[in-house]
Amino acid sequence: MSDTPRRAVTLRHRFSSTSPIVIAFIALVLGLVLGALIIIFTTPVVLNAWRDIFHSWGSPWHAVKVTADNVGAAYRAMFTGSIIDPPGLWHSITTGKGWDATMTPLSETLTYATPLIIASMGVGIAFQTGIFNIGANGQAVLGGIAGAAVGSMLHMPTIIHIPLTLLAGLAGGVIAGAIPGLLKAYTGAHEVIVTIMLNYVVYAFLLFVVLSTPLQQPGQQNDISRMMDPSSQLAPIFGVASGLRVSYGIFVAAAVVVFAWWFLDRSSLGFDFRVTGANPTAARASGINSRAIMVLVFLISGGLAGLAGIVQAASTTHFIDGGFLIGNAGIGFTAITVALLGRNRPMGIVWASLLFAALGVGGRSMQASTGIPLDLATIIQSAVVLFVATPVLVKEIFRLRTSPTATVQLATKGWNS
Amino acid sequence: MELVSIVGVTPQANEAAAAASGRTRAIGAIMIGIGVFTGLVFAMGVSSAAHSGLTFNPVNLSNAPWHVSDLTVATRWVNAVIALLMVALGLEVIIRSPRRAVMVRFGVVAVLFLFALLFWVVRTPGPSPVPVINFTAVLIGSSEVAMVLIFGALSGVMCERSGVVNIAIEGQFIGGAFIGTMLASTTHSFIFAALGGAVIGGLLGLLLAFLSLRYLSDQIIVGVVLVTMIGSFSSYLNLQVFTPFPQFNTGTLAPNLAIPLISKIPIIGPVFFDQSGFFYFMLILVGAVSFALFKTRYGLHVRAVGEHPRAAATVGINVVRVRYINVVLGGAIAGVGGVAFMASQGQFQPGYTSGLGYIALAAMIFGRWRPSGAVVASVLFGLSVYLSQNLQTYNVPVSTYILNMFPYIITIAVVSGLIGRVRAPAADGIPYHRE
Repeated sequence: MSDTPRRAVTLRHRFSSTSPIVIAFIALVLGLVLGALIIIFTTPVVLNAWRDIFHSWGSPWHAVKVTADNVGAAYRAMFTGSIIDPPGLWHSITTGKGWDATMTPLSETLTYATPLIIASMGVGIAFQTGIFNIGANGQAVLGGIAGAAVGSMLHMPTIIHIPLTLLAGLAGGVIAGAIPGLLKAYTGAHEVIVTIMLNYVVYAFLLFVVLSTPLQQPGQQNDISRMMDPSSQLAPIFGVASGLRVSYGIFVAAAVVVFAWWFLDRSSLGFDFRVTGANPTAARASGINSRAIMVLVFLISGGLAGLAGIVQAASTTHFIDGGFLIGNAGIGFTAITVALLGRNRPMGIVWASLLFAALGVGGRSMQASTGIPLDLATIIQSAVVLFVATPVLVKEIFRLRTSPTATVQLATKGWNS
Repeated sequence: MELVSIVGVTPQANEAAAAASGRTRAIGAIMIGIGVFTGLVFAMGVSSAAHSGLTFNPVNLSNAPWHVSDLTVATRWVNAVIALLMVALGLEVIIRSPRRAVMVRFGVVAVLFLFALLFWVVRTPGPSPVPVINFTAVLIGSSEVAMVLIFGALSGVMCERSGVVNIAIEGQFIGGAFIGTMLASTTHSFIFAALGGAVIGGLLGLLLAFLSLRYLSDQIIVGVVLVTMIGSFSSYLNLQVFTPFPQFNTGTLAPNLAIPLISKIPIIGPVFFDQSGFFYFMLILVGAVSFALFKTRYGLHVRAVGEHPRAAATVGINVVRVRYINVVLGGAIAGVGGVAFMASQGQFQPGYTSGLGYIALAAMIFGRWRPSGAVVASVLFGLSVYLSQNLQTYNVPVSTYILNMFPYIITIAVVSGLIGRVRAPAADGIPYHRE
């Protein structure tokens, strides 16, 4: 597994037409084009402008202009809401004021990306072992529940409270991950169905917890938990006054990235994981205990998802409610797409998380300013992953040279695996 | 081969058989455990004076020529009988260690448990506002869920018998439900709605087939991503189209088409012969898929392709074409299932299929990739989904949210007790390269 090719070769390879980065970029462009088409076909103003060409001899240029305006406004809102607003930046540079407001979009993207990186790293490690952990969302929710319980119902100094809260989140995820891991190892139950079903179980449990246990905010009838103690919250790095939400959670994410890199590339257990993922038969033949690997991979993957859940709660809302991480935009689901886009490698996942976080945060700003639903961001994300999952398709569309060594990489292997 | 036939069983087979019987015993023990719990809590835990009512006349059936009088039973003794039945089934599994249908017995125990719970909550004096169970209404309600699950499971059978894992059933449900409510609201015709659902489901199947057959992508990943995509797309369109134009999403339910005479049979009539057109279509479809897969030449080709595509190709079967046809047809079936879901549940809401597509997939596995097995599994799952969602009307002293976990936990239990003993089509989920 020596991974030290000469630098010049890597660089040239990176930007050749067959490299994953180029594919990912093209996939992103295709995803944005798809999003634009969806906007065009669902915005009455745009449709009317095009219909007028035929109905009342409207100018085609007018139709094109209306289309460009609407799509442009949506994507501009996405960009300025997630990265930077150029006029604001210019204002800050020239006057030296308003830096907080200027940096808010970036801070939001980082805030969103922090738990996403952690959860995706877990999903990525599982993928590298040939395990498809669709349960990351449920594991994150359980981690959030456990962490919020420790954070809000135990009281102690910050120095112990934060680590304990994070550990509780980790433990919640480990518990939720242990179930599919043990079931797969000892009964052969396929992890895909078990984890999907467990997600629904955990969602029901979440509602139960925030509605009818002491974790519910006292005096509340709604599905909302107690507030986490300030001593258990991940504080904003630049202080509460700045309004920038980016928190110390980012260091947790950085630690996870380093851990994942060390684990996959340097540790012997990580090597066993990867061998199992690449060729389970060979792994078994070489004496790797595949049952233990299966359980361990779910413990690690689930633990990271749980950690992501509590980092999310501790750095943003400081409580959990019945809608915590639920729906298609739940970080556990985005984590799957992020891991696929990042090719399950630590740095790839970091970049992919930042990209998808920007799409998600930008989607919110788009919804606020143009009324186009946030779901568009999720559609674009899944389209990007579909294109990345089928690199041959992208290469064919753009008539790129296909690499002769391109092989089919299967992350999962059907029910009989 | 010679040696194997002389020795009888290979060592591996012996080991597998031992593991299987260990698993069977464990399942039997769990069944006995459930039985004992039922006996202690639902039977011995109630006063001997408590009674539960059962009524058999459906609410919507007016001027029926028959009237089955209500039945009042002693809660304790009915539940004791149910508990004994569970224990007996568990003992039978442990002692006889049957080779087949262990999980069906387990499913029966799970459903019996729900009925025991039902008897227990409606007891008088008890917590429930309604002192009776409407048995026929329970069956009708469950049949609607089971119908949707059967559509999904049949879709799974079609795809997986040809070697493609269709995990996007949930997405096809959502797509079908979406287009179904739109067409039903505008044209007032459920035939158009069903056709629209079939088209959408078929197109999603085509996309899945295209990506996984032509580009050899990972089918499970493509399926999951498709579900996410369709889920968010439907939620997007719900906000962009249905919110401003509610006339596109009126949520009319499909009318019941009563079959003359036989729909008047007590209990059976309303459950089987006074249903919407989708229900009858589903019944026909079960027969059709079963016949097509196991009695026709084409079905033989499909199964050959699912088991050993290379061998199938050698004898001149076009593997890729067979898979395309089956995945598109399977998608269409699931699409109709989505319309059927909408036609029995009403107005489209994002996320209201709540994982039914995945439960259908589990029902297909439970049914061993056979239409008939899928029907049995779907009926059991349908009962558990319906009961867990409707027990709250009886003021069960258990949180509704805990009850809502029930169908999912049963699914997990079934899948864990099962895989390893059932065998998927050998080439299921594995891309096929033409040499």
